[in-house]
Amino acid sequence: MSSSNIPSSSTAAGGPCGACKFLRRKCVAGCIFAPYFDSEQGAAHFAAVHKVFGASNVSKLLLHIPVQKRLDAVLTISYEAQARLRDPVYGCVAHIFALQQQVVNLQAELSYLQAHLTTLDLPTPPTQLIPPPATLSIADLPTSSAMPATYDLSSLFDQVVMHPSWTLHQRQSEIDTCAFSTTATTRVQPEIPSFAASSGGGGGDLQELARELLNRHAPPVVPCRNQASTLPPHSR
Amino acid sequence: MNSSRCAACKHLRRRCPSDCIFSPYFPSNNPRRFAYVHKIYGASNVGKILQDLPVNRRAEAADSLYYEACCRIKDPVYGCVGMISILHQQIYNAQCQLAMIQAEIATLSTPSQSEDQYQFQHAENIAPTFLTHQNGASNSASFYDLSTWLD
Repeated sequence: MSSSNIPSSSTAAGGPCGACKFLRRKCVAGCIFAPYFDSEQGAAHFAAVHKVFGASNVSKLLLHIPVQKRLDAVLTISYEAQARLRDPVYGCVAHIFALQQQVVNLQAELSYLQAHLTTLDLPTPPTQLIPPPATLSIADLPTSSAMPATYDLSSLFDQVVMHPSWTLHQRQSEIDTCAFSTTATTRVQPEIPSFAASSGGGGGDLQELARELLNRHAPPVVPCRNQASTLPPHSR
Repeated sequence: MNSSRCAACKHLRRRCPSDCIFSPYFPSNNPRRFAYVHKIYGASNVGKILQDLPVNRRAEAADSLYYEACCRIKDPVYGCVGMISILHQQIYNAQCQLAMIQAEIATLSTPSQSEDQYQFQHAENIAPTFLTHQNGASNSASFYDLSTWLD
């Protein structure tokens, strides 16, 4: 698959990668984007990434990530870029706070039912539950030790938004699109952000920011009987 | 030198005009806020995002950009997606516990003791084992499927 119009130093697939195609530049051997943005659909997905983050920033970010983690990074960056384009005010943070609200509602219902359970004549002690947090904050979320070690990124993206098949890396590696797990055979603990108040590096800022955004964004907590999530209105 | 420059103009080492797009949202007393946002998005992109929004939405946008930037700096691979995964897992855990408690309440409401024991054991079997093994141990139930939140 060669053409006289294709630069000789293009990717192994015989053409510029989606990123270089979008940027209208020569796709050199060893292009950092080439494994993740193919020349067909990759250009469209890179457009979103470029618009929100910028090619230079993404390139720097990927250079500081181990090669085996770069695909996951590209997928999450693309997800955030798409979310920001759809909701320029909140991006994917809207989803985070919707989920946080859902957690609070569920924990309130658990507390209610636990209280109900204790009113019954029980021969056995009540089931141990996770106590609801006094105030809603990112800092109340559990740390990485309590969480599963794998992220199933394949289910992050619906067919309309993007499909992992546009990543050239995946094609070349013949990885099943439904098995985009960050772990292969071993359960390696990923770096999960820990926003506990005791952590350094801006934990307090995140708590304050989380509370501030939540106060503006989420309705008051009420015990609910159903588990339907209530998504906040989008800014658009 | 203008001593009242916002954090963005100080970081960019330029004069801070009176109509600076950044100054209301990146005050000079919090240099890290703009530094993080600049590192992830770049000043130009942030400026464009803010410029395209109505004035009354820009503060929230700046806050959410800062939050996402913090997530990405703390976790360069997963960023905010890591937090989303954690929350989904919490929801799943809570729903399982809710199911267990509801089953427990249901069994205690029934008059027959033998039936209670059967239903309670059945309710225990519904809950995945990972609820008692939440230390990231390698078992099949620890692989979390995020497909439930796609709309």
